[in-house]
Amino acid sequence: MAGAQTHRLGNGGLVDRSAPLNFRFDGKAFSGFQGDTLASALIANGVKLVGRSFKYHRPRGILTAGSEEPNALVELRTGARREPNTKATTAELYDGLEAASQNRWPSLRHDVMSVNQLFAPIFVAGFYYKTFMWPAKFWEAIYEPAIRRAAGLGRAAGIADPDHYDKAWAHCDVLIAGSGPAGLAAALAAGRAGARVILCEEDFVLGGRLLSDGGMIDGEPAAEWISRTLAELAGMPDVRVMTRTTLFGVYDGGTYGAIERVNDHLPSPPEHQVRQRLWRIVAKRCVVAAGAIERPIVFAGNDTPGVMMASAMRTYVARYAATPAKRIALFTNNEDGWRTVETALGAGLQIAAVIDARPEISPAHRSLASKGGFPVLHGSVSGVDGGKDGVRKIAVSLTGGARAEVEADGLAVSGGWNPAVGLTSYHRGRPKWRSDISAFVPDGAPPGMVAAGAANGDFGLGACLSQGFAAGAAAAHDAGRTGNAGSAPVADDEVFSLTPLWHVAGKGKAFVDYQHDVTASDIELAQREGFESVEHLKRYTTLGMATDQGKTSNVAGLAIMAAVSGRSIPETGTTIYRPPYVPVAIGAFAGHHRDGTFHATRLTPSHHWAVEQGAVFVDTGLWKRAQWYPRAGEKDWLESVTREVKAVRSGVGFCDVSTLGKIDVHGPDAGAFLDRVYINTFSNLAVGKARYGLMLREDGIVYDDGTTSRLAEDHYFLTTTTAKAGLVMQHLEFCRQVLFPELDVQLTSVSDQWAQFSIAGPSARELLKQIVDESEDLSNEGFPFMGAREVTLRGGLKARLFRISFSGEMAFEISVPARFGDAMARNLMLAGAPFGVTPYGTEALGVMRVEKGHIAGPELSGTTTAADLGLGKMMSTKKDYIGRVMAGREALVAPDRQVVVGIKPTDETRRLRSGAHIIPKGQTPGPGNDQGYVTSVCFSPTLNQWIGLALVERGRERIGEIVHAHDPLRGEDYDVELCNPVFYDPDGGRQRG
Amino acid sequence: MRIACSFCGERELGEFTYLGDAKPVRPEAGASEDEVFDYVYLRDNVAGATSEYWYHGGGCRAWLKVTRNTLTHEISSIEPAAGAGAAKVGA
Amino acid sequence: MVEFSWVSRSPLEHALVTGTDGARGIEAGISLTEIRNFDLIQVMARRGQAAELGQAAKARFGVAVPDAPKAVRTSDATLIWSGPDQFFVLSKGGKHTMQTLEPALSGSLSDQSHARVLVSISGAKARTMLAKLSSIDLHPDAFPVGAAAATSMDHTSVTLWRGGDRTDGQAVFNVLMFATFAESLWHTMLDSGAEYGVDINHTERLA
Ligand SMILES: [Zn+2]
Repeated sequence: MAGAQTHRLGNGGLVDRSAPLNFRFDGKAFSGFQGDTLASALIANGVKLVGRSFKYHRPRGILTAGSEEPNALVELRTGARREPNTKATTAELYDGLEAASQNRWPSLRHDVMSVNQLFAPIFVAGFYYKTFMWPAKFWEAIYEPAIRRAAGLGRAAGIADPDHYDKAWAHCDVLIAGSGPAGLAAALAAGRAGARVILCEEDFVLGGRLLSDGGMIDGEPAAEWISRTLAELAGMPDVRVMTRTTLFGVYDGGTYGAIERVNDHLPSPPEHQVRQRLWRIVAKRCVVAAGAIERPIVFAGNDTPGVMMASAMRTYVARYAATPAKRIALFTNNEDGWRTVETALGAGLQIAAVIDARPEISPAHRSLASKGGFPVLHGSVSGVDGGKDGVRKIAVSLTGGARAEVEADGLAVSGGWNPAVGLTSYHRGRPKWRSDISAFVPDGAPPGMVAAGAANGDFGLGACLSQGFAAGAAAAHDAGRTGNAGSAPVADDEVFSLTPLWHVAGKGKAFVDYQHDVTASDIELAQREGFESVEHLKRYTTLGMATDQGKTSNVAGLAIMAAVSGRSIPETGTTIYRPPYVPVAIGAFAGHHRDGTFHATRLTPSHHWAVEQGAVFVDTGLWKRAQWYPRAGEKDWLESVTREVKAVRSGVGFCDVSTLGKIDVHGPDAGAFLDRVYINTFSNLAVGKARYGLMLREDGIVYDDGTTSRLAEDHYFLTTTTAKAGLVMQHLEFCRQVLFPELDVQLTSVSDQWAQFSIAGPSARELLKQIVDESEDLSNEGFPFMGAREVTLRGGLKARLFRISFSGEMAFEISVPARFGDAMARNLMLAGAPFGVTPYGTEALGVMRVEKGHIAGPELSGTTTAADLGLGKMMSTKKDYIGRVMAGREALVAPDRQVVVGIKPTDETRRLRSGAHIIPKGQTPGPGNDQGYVTSVCFSPTLNQWIGLALVERGRERIGEIVHAHDPLRGEDYDVELCNPVFYDPDGGRQRG
Repeated sequence: MRIACSFCGERELGEFTYLGDAKPVRPEAGASEDEVFDYVYLRDNVAGATSEYWYHGGGCRAWLKVTRNTLTHEISSIEPAAGAGAAKVGA
Repeated sequence: MVEFSWVSRSPLEHALVTGTDGARGIEAGISLTEIRNFDLIQVMARRGQAAELGQAAKARFGVAVPDAPKAVRTSDATLIWSGPDQFFVLSKGGKHTMQTLEPALSGSLSDQSHARVLVSISGAKARTMLAKLSSIDLHPDAFPVGAAAATSMDHTSVTLWRGGDRTDGQAVFNVLMFATFAESLWHTMLDSGAEYGVDINHTERLA
C-alpha cells in the first residue's frame, strides 16, 4: 500500500474508503479512493506542488476543484495514451493511474527553467511581438524552437491514439446544462410536464455545489433531496441524465455540442467501447444551469502553492474529505467565502485568520470567529511568503494602513462569483454587468436558451431551485409539453454581500491569468502602450487565451484594465465568447473517420474479383479502382501497365468502368432538356445511338463530358465522368427544377444499378460473340460504331451494349445489373480465354486515352473552353445552352489561348512529367514567357517512348515546333516537340472496325 | 444550422449543399452578353435577409429557395423550386 | 462452347459474415439482417400527372401512394416515399418489375433493384446504435411505424423507414443504401454496434 493519505479526514466525504486505488504521480506511488479526482487524491497525500507555470516556470499548486483549473495540468497516462494538459481537478482517479507534471526539467522540484523568473522583466506583455520582429528568418530557425522548449505545456504522445471515439445525435425538448440545484429542479419540472429531457453534467457525480455546500431542501438535507430527485427522474423514460458530459457549444437552429468522457475514468476503454463520444444534440429549448465560477483576487504571491479558491478548499474538505491545509487563512470580499471557515471548523481544521475586505461583517460571523478563536482582519492580503512547499506566512494590509502577518499553511481566496456566461454568449451575445454582485450576467441568449440560478447571477439556494424549476417548466411548455409540473422545491436564500476587490497593490508578481502567466503589471503595461480595447488587451498580453480560456482570469483582467484606464468595467466590456467551453479532443470530432475509415468508400461490382486477381488499387475520389494487375515476375508498375496496353492493342482486354456516373433521363422533353445542358444536340439522336456530349458551366468553361445514349423516344441514358458524377447530378437537378421547370423531364441516378465494362481490342467483337446470345448481330452493319441497344446474353440475362471507345480500339461497353458484375468479370475471362483476354486497370486506360488524345480530368481543369480542347466545332449555333453566351466572350475566344496539343521529347529516351512549364526554345524561363504546361503524360508502349498532352498557347498552329519544358519542381529542363494530340490511329479506322 | 426541407421536414445542415444567391434570373435565349454577364457574376453582398438556393442532396434531391438572415442565420422562409415536384409549370 | 453461370452476388457477400460481431457474453443488442434479391423500382410522376399516377398506383396496389415521407405496406409490396411526387416499389419474386409496372403506371420508371442494398436493423440497442449513424430523431413519437426519410448516413444517401415491429415488440428500421457504398456502410454499422453486440444474418425474405 503506497502512501499514507496523511491529509485524509477519518470520515465523511463522497469517497469510498472500501475501494482504495493506487496511482503514481511523477513516478512516486500514492493511494486514494474511488470517488477521488487526481487533485483530491494528491491533496489527501499532502502534495502541494503539481506543476510549473508556462512562462516563468513558477511552482504551482491546485487552485480550483473543477474544469476552470489553470494550474494543475498534467500528462495523464503513458505511451500512446499519454494526454497532455489534462486537468487533475477533473481527472477521475482509477487504479494504476499514472500522471506526470508538465513544463519542468529535470524534475518538478528542481526545474532549470525557473531561471526564467530572473529574466522576468523581459517576459512582459507583448514580449514576442517586441523581440522577434527581426530578422524574419531567425523566427523559424532560432526563436520558435527555443520558445517551444522553454515555454509550453505537456508533450503529445506522438504516436497514433489506440482508442476509438464516436459521434452520435440526440434529440430532446429540453436540454439542461448542469445538475446543481437549478439544473435538477429544471429537469424535474420539465420531466414531470412530459418533456423529453437531456441533462448534461460534466462531473461524475450529480449535484453540483450541493455536493460541497449541502443545505436544506424541502426540509431535508440536500443529499437526500438529490437521491429522491434522481430516483424520480430515473422513473421517467424520456429523461436522460448524462454524467461526465460537458455541453461545450451552441450552434444555429437549436443544435448543441457535448463531449461525453465515456471511459476516461478507466485505464483504457473496455473492448469494443469508445473513450469519448461527441454528441450533437438537437433541442427545442435549453436551460443553462451551469453555475458560477469563483474568482481569485490578484495580489502578490497569489500563485503560491497552497493558495486556493475558497469554494475549492471546502469542496476538497467536504466532498473528498481531503485537507489542503491544516491551518487555513481566508481572504474574502464577500459573505460566501465564510462558508469555507464553517466547513473547515466542522472538519476540525484550524482557522488562522479571516482577512475580509468588506467594511462590515455579520454578527453571526463575528461570533463564529470568537467561538473559533481566530482573528478577523479588515483589509487585504498584500503578499505571500512561501514557495514550492506551500504557503508559510501571509502579509496583510489592514484598512487604515497598518500591516499584519498571519501564519498559515493554506490560504483560501474568494473574490466573488462569475456566472458561467459562455453558453449564453456564444452567438455574439454580450453579457451585462450587475453591480450588486459585481459580475457579468447573461443578457439574452441564443434562441430557445435561458439561464437559471447561479448561471444567471442568482446564487441563493432558494433562488436556484425556484428559477431552475420555473425555467424547466416554461421550456417544457414552449416545447408543447403541458403536463403538470407540480410545485418547485423550496429552500432558504443565503445572504450575499460583496465589496468589489480585484487587485491589491504590493511587491512581487500578482497573477491574473495563472495559465498564461499574465500579471497585473502586464495589463498596466498594455494600457500604457495603448492596448486599451479588451480585444487588444487579450491578444497583446495573451490574457484568457490559454486552454482554460480565462475562466478564472478574464473578469479580473478587465477590472484592472478598467481601473488603470479610468473607465467602468461595463464600459471596458468583454471579449467575444466562442466555443468550445472546454477543450475537446480532435479524435472526438473525427470519431469513426480515421485511417481506413477516414471517409466512406465505394467499391465497383467486380472489386472482390479484382482482389482475387491481385490488382493494385488506387483511391479515385471515394472509389477504390483497380490500377493495374501485376503478374509474377513483373518488376514494376510500368511493366504491368505496358503489358496490359499491348494486350488490348493486339488482342482484347476489359476494364470495370462502373465508376462513371449514370443517369436515367426520362420524359417527353428529355431531348430538349439535354439540348440545353450540352453544347451539342441530342434531340435529334436516333433511338439506339450514342453520342459524345460536352457540357459547360454558365461562365463558358467546360464542366464535364461523357457519352449519352437514346434508349427510347423518351428515355436517354447519360454518363458523366467518375469525378463529377455527384456534381453533374446536382447541376442537372438545378437545371430541371430551377432553370427549366417547364420541361417534362425526370432524372434518376442509376450509377449503382449497372456494372459496366469496357471491352477493347481487335478481338473485342469475337469475345463478345461468345457471351451474347447467338441471335445478336454484332457486325459493323448490325451494330455500327456509336450504337446502343439491349442485348440478351447466353443464359438469358439482359444487358445493355454500347459501341463506344475510349482506347481507340474496336471497343464496346457492356452493362449488366450490378449484382451480376462479379459474374460478368469471371465470364469475360472465360469467354476471352481463347483470345488471351487481359483485365486492365486505370493506368492502362489512361495510357490509351493519352495515345488517342482523349481529354480527361487534367484537361477538364476548370480553365479550358471547348475550343481549347479541340472540340469547338461541337458548339451548336442553332440553339441556346448553358454557357453559350459567356463562352463567346473576347478572352475565351482569343487566338492566343492555351490549347490542347501533343508533346514528344526530342530525346526519345527521356521521361516526361506532368506540370512542367512550356516556354519558347532558347529562352530563360520566367513568368513573361510561360506559354502553358504539361497536363498528362504516359509511357506509350505503342510508340515506345514517353508522350504527353499539354495546354500551349496557339498550340495547334505550332505543330512541329520544338519548345522547352521547364520543371522547376523536379529541376528538369528538356526540349519537346509539339505534335498532333492523337498519337494513335488518327483516322479512327480501328475503332470504327 | 438546420433547414426545414419543404418535403422532408427539418434536417441538419450536412444533408444540404449551398449554391448561392437565388435572386438572379437566367436571361432568356437571345439576351445580350451584358445581361448574361450580370446573371453569372453580379451578386449583392447582403447583411440581412437574403434568398439563396440550397440542395437537399443528402435527402430528397429537391432544390429549395431559403430566405436567411446573413447576420443571425435566422431562416424566415423556405420554398421548393418551381420544378421540384411534378407540378405543371408555365404554359 | 463455354458454359457461363450468372450468379447474382450481393455487394455485402464478402463483408457479411453470419454470426456474432463485437461484444460477446451479453445478449446482442443489435440485429443486422441483409435482405437479398429484391425488386426495387423507382417511380416518378411526369409533369402535371401526379394525380393520374396516384390513381394508377392505387388501382395497382390497392393503397394510396405515400405523398409524404412514409412507407405503406400492401399485400405484396412496400411503397416508400423517395421525394416529391416519386416513390419506390419494393417487392420480391418478380411481382412488381419494370416489365410489369411500366404498362401499369404512367410515369418515369427506373430499375433500382441492383442499385441498393437493404439492411434491416432491430434489437434493444437499435436506436442507440442508429443515433451514431443518423441525424434523424427516431423516438417512437417522432418516427412511428410507417415513417420514412430520405436522409444520409456517413455522408451517404439512404432511404430509412420503420417497418412493422418484431413479434417481441422491438422496432425495426430498414435502410436502403447505395450498393457501391454498402460494404463501407456495413463496416460503419458494425463499428457502431460493436459495443452492444451484433447478430448478423441475411435472408431472401422481405419482412
Ligand atoms: Zn428534402
